[in-house]
Amino acid sequence: MPTLRDIKTRIKGVQSTQQITKAMKMVAAAKLRRAQENIINARPYAKKISSILNHLITDDDRASNPFIVPREVKKVAVVSVSADRGMCGAFNSNIIKETSRYIEEELKPKGIEALLYCVGKKGNDFYAKRDYDVINSKVGIFGTLKYELSLEISEFIISGYLKGDFDKVVVIYNEFKTVMQQKIVCEELLPIPVFEGDVAEKYSDNYIYEPDHDAIIKFLLPKHLKAQIWRVLLESYASENGAKMTAMDNATANANELIKNLTITFNKARQTAITTEILEIVSGANALKAG
Amino acid sequence: MQFFNLEIVAPAKITFSAPVKSVTIPGTLGEFQVLYNHAPMIATFEVGKIKIVNENDSETLYATGGGTVEVLNNKVLVLADSIEEIEKIDIDRAKNALERAKKRLSDPDKNKIDVTRAEAALARAMNRIHLTEKYSAR
Repeated sequence: MPTLRDIKTRIKGVQSTQQITKAMKMVAAAKLRRAQENIINARPYAKKISSILNHLITDDDRASNPFIVPREVKKVAVVSVSADRGMCGAFNSNIIKETSRYIEEELKPKGIEALLYCVGKKGNDFYAKRDYDVINSKVGIFGTLKYELSLEISEFIISGYLKGDFDKVVVIYNEFKTVMQQKIVCEELLPIPVFEGDVAEKYSDNYIYEPDHDAIIKFLLPKHLKAQIWRVLLESYASENGAKMTAMDNATANANELIKNLTITFNKARQTAITTEILEIVSGANALKAG
Repeated sequence: MQFFNLEIVAPAKITFSAPVKSVTIPGTLGEFQVLYNHAPMIATFEVGKIKIVNENDSETLYATGGGTVEVLNNKVLVLADSIEEIEKIDIDRAKNALERAKKRLSDPDKNKIDVTRAEAALARAMNRIHLTEKYSAR
């Protein structure tokens, strides 16, 4: 049986942990609000640019444009987007799990080499220590998320793809569904996926192009990639803060539960102590009276 | 007169979405205007001014940093790299950007990427300042 003082110290300890988790929850909630706004505002642009691009792609492009024609896949660059910090539940481990699953189950059996591009410190820490080929990483970036970052990432991907360092680029990230819900998505970035049977297909021959078709495609392709990568980063950041808020909310609730139980134990122990004391006094008095 | 639907989307948000009478865009090969029943078109545009004639004949002016426009079935989609209403331009910020760009361009040891970026920034800043001075007095 722990002594009264032991229980008291434990209650104090749990209370101070609870204060921390509560504060972290508030911080995550504030960040989440902004991150959520950002991603909701960024989604239309990313969607529209990919729709214009798809209207623009003709059969000729499908046969000849280096960004669109699929190659024989020998090496795949996997961009894995995790968070810079922990304390957000299963957020990071889910991403790592999915990335490893994708590499082990979908690439390795086919003899395809996987090259990892780790965005976020947690994923990088995990893969750098293990037997994976990490070609590049970006860590400590989510605190000050800048558009230039998606520029850097897309430039690296584009130049590597054109040089033939890899034949396909996929990105694995958490898509922001709701505050409580994240969805892990594995998306192909390059070669650019072409939607079949788009409504605009029948127009594609009749479009007026200004200045000309090839120049527009050249102008739009890098922009498209940048916009998609920017969207992915924002999705992941919003998800991270959502996951963190939920995790910290749970931790605060768990701490409450723990405090409640400990308080009951504390009261019981105190009661026992008092009972014992009274018993001692009474039996002492009785002994005196009898004597 | 008939209307078509115009949507202006910037990376950070949907800036404009409403039926309009016409829109004038600073295309790469020269300024052009889109009216009702325009043929399908995809074009790029440069730094400059986008003029919208609204349903009620009022005009809205935007300063833009370039982008792409698609005309299809009386729906016009403008994807702008940067765009703001001329009345809402932050003139001090534009002037600061102008100074920064000028300074960067006068820097003797510059590599190629920085030059193109600084030149683009210079063009955008000059466009903003020019349009503000021309139209905000109205």
